[in-house]
Amino acid sequence: MDKIIIHIDMNSYFASVEQQANPLLRGKPIGITGKHGSIAMSGQRIKVNTDGVHDRSVITTASMEAKLLGVKTAMSTWEARKICPSLILWPGDPHKYSEITERFNKIYNDFTTKVEAFSVDESFLDVTEEAGDYFTATFIAQMIRARLRAECGEHITASIGIGPNKLMAKLASESMKPNGLTVTRPEDTLKLLDSRELDDLCGIGPRIKQRLNMLGVETFKQLREFPLDSLESEFNRYGTWLHEAAHGRDSNVIQSSTVHGLRGMSTETPKSYGHSYTLPRNTHDKLIVKRYLLGLADKVAWRMRRDNFAACRITAFIRYGDFSSHAEQRTFYIPTNDGHKLFQVAWQIIGNCFAGEPVRLVGLSASKLTHKPGQQSLFKKEQKIQSVLPALDSLQHRYGTGVWTRGSLVKTHFKQRSSGFHFDHLV
Amino acid sequence: MHELLNDPIDVLVSFKDNRVFPHTMRWNQKDYKIKDVNLVHSAREGSKRVFFFSVSDSNNYFKLKLDPEVLEWRLVELYTDG
Repeated sequence: MDKIIIHIDMNSYFASVEQQANPLLRGKPIGITGKHGSIAMSGQRIKVNTDGVHDRSVITTASMEAKLLGVKTAMSTWEARKICPSLILWPGDPHKYSEITERFNKIYNDFTTKVEAFSVDESFLDVTEEAGDYFTATFIAQMIRARLRAECGEHITASIGIGPNKLMAKLASESMKPNGLTVTRPEDTLKLLDSRELDDLCGIGPRIKQRLNMLGVETFKQLREFPLDSLESEFNRYGTWLHEAAHGRDSNVIQSSTVHGLRGMSTETPKSYGHSYTLPRNTHDKLIVKRYLLGLADKVAWRMRRDNFAACRITAFIRYGDFSSHAEQRTFYIPTNDGHKLFQVAWQIIGNCFAGEPVRLVGLSASKLTHKPGQQSLFKKEQKIQSVLPALDSLQHRYGTGVWTRGSLVKTHFKQRSSGFHFDHLV
Repeated sequence: MHELLNDPIDVLVSFKDNRVFPHTMRWNQKDYKIKDVNLVHSAREGSKRVFFFSVSDSNNYFKLKLDPEVLEWRLVELYTDG
């Protein structure tokens, strides 16, 4: 029996949530920026920069009104303001979005146990058993829409696609935006594919499209007619996938939900922990880069200690103002999850990479993870630090991130980001 | 104008079906009648859960924070058109 898959994609997600929360933003072009603003202290008033003149952020979501005026996701804020001077830049609020994400995934779970959260605003639901046919699946989709309206808000809308597999359901949901409902039965899949461009299909990007065009393939019909062995010799296993996709076939099954409900945040053992950060401005100042690197190392170390891991390998990377970059790794025998030690190794890697271009981004990643504790140091100072870390961790558990910081990092602030695949506060 | 604040405020609320409905808030010696509660969400602050109410009157958007441990309300965000 064919599967019946529903794909639900929230429309202009972060912007819709803000328009739901704030009626004064409704009907206006707004752009959600990637970094959250500061937190005011008691009695303090911080004016939020809504014109983005000095902001190095990007638009993580544009409202539907902003999209109509040409603003696109991932556009830099200055470019977006150039295109649309009336654009209101609004700092993202990851806590708000993550709760709404959790709320709608909970609604989906009331209809089927097979729910795959594909990103923070997209989910697949396998309703084959629950629905039995496309008519009932459409009814389920309408019930979900009514629940979304009642429990999340009428301004948070979704486009829904129903199809015989994930690929076709996603293509269907993208056919009508915003707030659409598109049903593609198995006999309609070729018609749907033939009405779309090659890169409309999830899995075919601009480069693959270009390579296909160079082979004389510009439509799905031509892709279907293209010999399979030629596709495989050009693209290897991906060629097989292209051939199947052109016929509307997709063998991918719904991946079971994860603890946090999102892809990339599964319960599987992690392979690495990493953080990177784009500096507020490009800099030649080693001290500024050093401080951000230390802050990132502390974040990585805290996550490893929280999950009872230690690392034997550090990769540090740096990106310059001209977008060139440098990355290098070091492997060591004694595993560690001490932020300062991670920092020391990372700084050995990038501390000598300051020549010419100013630094734009810095990051580090810890891998070769183990559950084995590191060796007890013979030095008293290090022993003291090791005994302080559990106390700091319990403080962080109780009062949250930011409850303690190193004296050298008092003036170094990290802004929270909202991305399409995870929320900083959940990783 | 969009501002971030952290001012203690007084809020008049009602309770229904295990939910809290703010009606009026007093900030800077001025009363604001809440016209709409647009969105309620919560967030963890360490082991504590706090609640945020996105509310509005005709001219202003307010984000209120409720700390249920100490029953304290704070105005944390203000947006006024224009």
